[in-house]
Amino acid sequence: MRRITIKGLLGHKLRLALTAIAIILGVTFIAGTYVLTDTLHSTFDALVGTIYKNVDFQVRGVAQFSAKNAAAATRNPIPGSLLTTVRGVPGVAAAEGNVSGSAQFIAPDGTLISNNEPTLAENYDPNPKISELRIVEGRPPATPDDVVMDAATAQKYHFHVGQRVRVLLPAGTQTFTISGIAQYGTASTLAGVTLAAFTLPTAQRIAQENGQFDNIDVVTRPGANTATVERGIARVLPKGAEVVTGQTVLNEETSSIDQQLSFFSTALLVFALIALFVGSFTIFNTFSILVSQRTRELALLRTVGASGRQLFRSVLAEAAVVGVVASAIGVGLGVLTALGIEELLRGFGITLPAGPLVFQARTLIVSLAVGIGVTVVSAVGPARRAVRVPPVAALRDLHAGGGDVSRRRVLAGAALGAVGTVLLLTGLTKPAVGITGIGAAAIFIGAAALAPSLSRPLSGAIGRPLARSLGVAGRLGRANSMRNPRRTAQTASALMVGLALVAAIAIFGASAATSATSSFDNAVRADLIVSTISGNNAGNISPALPQALAAIPGVTAATVAYSGQFEIGQSVEQLKAVSTPALGKTIILHLVHGNIGSLSRGDLLIDLTTATSNHLAVGDHVRGKFALTGWTTIRVGGIYQPNALIGSYLVGGAFYRSHYADPPPGAVLLDTSANPGAQRAVEHTIAPYPGLQVQTAGQFKKAATAQINQILGLVYALLALAVVIALIGIVNTLILSVFERTREIGLLRAIGMNRRQVRTMIQTESVVLALFGAVMGILIGTGLGVALVSSLHAQGVTTTTIPIASLLVFLALACALGLVAATWPARKAARLDVLTAITTD
Amino acid sequence: MRASVWNKSPDPGTGGRSAVVTAVGDPAGGAGPVPAAQGIDLVKTYGTGPAEVHALAGVTVTFEKGRFTAVMGPSGSGKSTLMHCMAGLDQPTSGRSLIAGMDLTSLDDTRLSELRRDRVGFVFQSFNLIPTLTAAENITLPADLAGRKVDRDWFDHLVIQLGIGKRLRHRPAEMSGGQQQRVACARALINRPDLVFADEPTGNLDSNASAELLAFLRRSVTEMGQSIVMVTHDPHGASFADRVVFLADGRVVAEIGKPTADSVLERMRTLGA
Repeated sequence: MRRITIKGLLGHKLRLALTAIAIILGVTFIAGTYVLTDTLHSTFDALVGTIYKNVDFQVRGVAQFSAKNAAAATRNPIPGSLLTTVRGVPGVAAAEGNVSGSAQFIAPDGTLISNNEPTLAENYDPNPKISELRIVEGRPPATPDDVVMDAATAQKYHFHVGQRVRVLLPAGTQTFTISGIAQYGTASTLAGVTLAAFTLPTAQRIAQENGQFDNIDVVTRPGANTATVERGIARVLPKGAEVVTGQTVLNEETSSIDQQLSFFSTALLVFALIALFVGSFTIFNTFSILVSQRTRELALLRTVGASGRQLFRSVLAEAAVVGVVASAIGVGLGVLTALGIEELLRGFGITLPAGPLVFQARTLIVSLAVGIGVTVVSAVGPARRAVRVPPVAALRDLHAGGGDVSRRRVLAGAALGAVGTVLLLTGLTKPAVGITGIGAAAIFIGAAALAPSLSRPLSGAIGRPLARSLGVAGRLGRANSMRNPRRTAQTASALMVGLALVAAIAIFGASAATSATSSFDNAVRADLIVSTISGNNAGNISPALPQALAAIPGVTAATVAYSGQFEIGQSVEQLKAVSTPALGKTIILHLVHGNIGSLSRGDLLIDLTTATSNHLAVGDHVRGKFALTGWTTIRVGGIYQPNALIGSYLVGGAFYRSHYADPPPGAVLLDTSANPGAQRAVEHTIAPYPGLQVQTAGQFKKAATAQINQILGLVYALLALAVVIALIGIVNTLILSVFERTREIGLLRAIGMNRRQVRTMIQTESVVLALFGAVMGILIGTGLGVALVSSLHAQGVTTTTIPIASLLVFLALACALGLVAATWPARKAARLDVLTAITTD
Repeated sequence: MRASVWNKSPDPGTGGRSAVVTAVGDPAGGAGPVPAAQGIDLVKTYGTGPAEVHALAGVTVTFEKGRFTAVMGPSGSGKSTLMHCMAGLDQPTSGRSLIAGMDLTSLDDTRLSELRRDRVGFVFQSFNLIPTLTAAENITLPADLAGRKVDRDWFDHLVIQLGIGKRLRHRPAEMSGGQQQRVACARALINRPDLVFADEPTGNLDSNASAELLAFLRRSVTEMGQSIVMVTHDPHGASFADRVVFLADGRVVAEIGKPTADSVLERMRTLGA
């Protein structure tokens, strides 16, 4: 049997090669993702390790919120006097206080320098025992005007020592002199983070922590008992401060990086699995066709005594060989692609650190296992069909059949679809990604099982306009697409999966965009919104700016909006605040109970959803914790209709400012009665602040939509791979069909069909196949999208929008892809030698 | 491989139909009506050197209009190759073939397709019909390929003559071999071609179906003025023709007019000896 397997492989090189491409692409994606994330992982870990290499202990403020859902701990600064105290603890060799905030260099051309990474402002730490930061050129900052720049930024923007540089600070811009250029150990940058290091007082001013530190790094004397030193430090610390080991800090940092990276790698792996899932349809289809084409050969083998088991194994062995070869190639390409993905992500503006590629054994094992597994599992169905070929089939003139659709198959498909739907909805409400994914997969497999029964009527209907406009070639193409419902359905199913996901994402995106727009319309009445531009990491709206804006002639109302965190009911929540005078001119609040005036009395307003789930009514008192002021009891003064922009908790500006230290405004909302003069005056007023912008209501909404579309673009790019694999499936089927119908094409050519007409015939078939898949995909995708959107109701996606225009574009695109897929098969068919074609069996 | 000497040297630079007609008037001898098809010194060689095989070793043959010609010969005599070369399905190594005075060797693929569609009809031994099309659709296929309207009267006439009226909506898989061949005949005639090539059209049929098909072919020549060339190895079939051309080893070796089954058999016996 082994020889037969090998002969089989050699006999269908082309088909198997096309199948292999599907596996190669999927495995490439998996291996690439692993290599990429492992590489990033080790690079980041090395960087963090570098920073805390010498630190034995760190003294810092205790985490203010005990709730577990906080993304990062909120800590208050510690008094500067603590540094001397800590230095005095026996066994402490050195201690240095750190203060860090945000400062952003401005390039000579006026643009803000940012790599989509933090733009750090620090005090320059002169102690080489603690810090890895080294001056490579110039000298440390000595005057309030001095700044030390990281080497990467200096290099990229051609800054040199002694040059003046404008820096965006929370309070506005200030010009500094570059006193030195520094790097971390041998790295010129920390993963794209830009660094501006100042003298301690300047750094404290920038961080708005005068006379305070964020933390103090401690190095112990050689030979000192670290436990004793730690106890010694703890003893001298005031309430609200704690001492932890350097290792603890390192672990915290590493785990937060791990979390972000694992989100990133999970997301990429999901797309890789989608691609392989689509690939499995192609493999299933190819092996089905191979088996049905070899019916006679298989029957002959049965006649001469091969057991069903041997045939089964022979087909599976063929699949396994394809799987092994394709997966191995995939792993190789994956390593190369890791570099490519890095570039791609850079193209989307995500900066990644450079480092040597990391190739773990796990990458190889998982990639091979998944690639081979998918191939072999997909071939089980066709292999079982091979076993069912009766020996007598060798004697019959069986033409490649497979047109029958059994009732059992329809029932199984429907049942699978139903189970999938239940799983999907369960997964979405939980929410649990795994269950949702399995549910979606079950729906797709169920739909693929049902597809053959839809294939004849649906491809007939899709092909009708083509047949009418393209003459007899179109009619023949349409007829060919209806000829083998199972094959048509299997081929189209791959594209169905790809397009269903694309459609679902499109619906999600459109719904998110309309929801954002409608929550804006339902919350904001202001004509102009002053806010920080994206890419501004450092510049705040200065506390004095709202007054200046309010004073502009034509501005009839100015509302300052804030946003911060507080702890309530064992969870950390977002608290929004608005200044109360003339609030009605800029903000819309649909109150269900209570009144808006209670905001100025220091009451808390909550939305209806929160009120209902926490059984709260107007007049109730709740306890909230603020990082600065601790636990406070607040009265619920009103309940409003939920709005994503406003969020669940709203207080007045005065209350907010008394519980947060110098809070910068998040935005200033202006009412100008649409006076264009006022808008120009506002633009003029914010001109000195490069990090600020003024937007009309329309511009604000458009920007929100644009942001959603950018994410959609990234997702579409990742789904494109699945669509490409589906296309390969179409090419594969068409090539097989052309091969099978050589004789028929020869006859058509003999009685006068010209090459162009042959091409049209194949193209029509291809377009019908593609559209069949697209129509099914878009229908299922619409269902998935609607389910997804309704599960995100609480997350602020409140409106369901079905972007008909986008869906039509996808259909048109499927049409075009069908034409692309037909190119090669159509050429092959048109080039068939007429005489050879009519004389083949 | 293709010897273009022949079609270029007599009349360089002219590809037009009338020029070709005058050019070929001479070898045919006299200024009579243009024949349905002519093969002039057709040579078809496969392989090179010692492995060289002459399927056609210089065949010159004329098929007149309105006549039913049978081509006979033992297998390997080159009768199918002759048909392929004369019908524009294959290119001769040298020599020329003409359909209604048009030189096929000068035509590109598109023109050849057009010629096969509009001027030639084909009936093959088997696999004559497109499985996805009904009988009616198969019949009108050449007209449909040309994007031309089907002559309804002619279509009805053919259907009645062939007795396939009840089968028009059927697909090939639902028809008997004889019915399929009759549909193929209707398809071959629908465009009123200059010439119909039938390659062993009764080869897969039982004697009744064969007789019916041959009778139809005969009638289409006598009553409708068609021109037919039929490749066959059946003396009875050949007896339906006006004339039988015998091929052996790639050459025309004999010819008889007004054949009967006996005269054909007799001649075959003498040639075979």
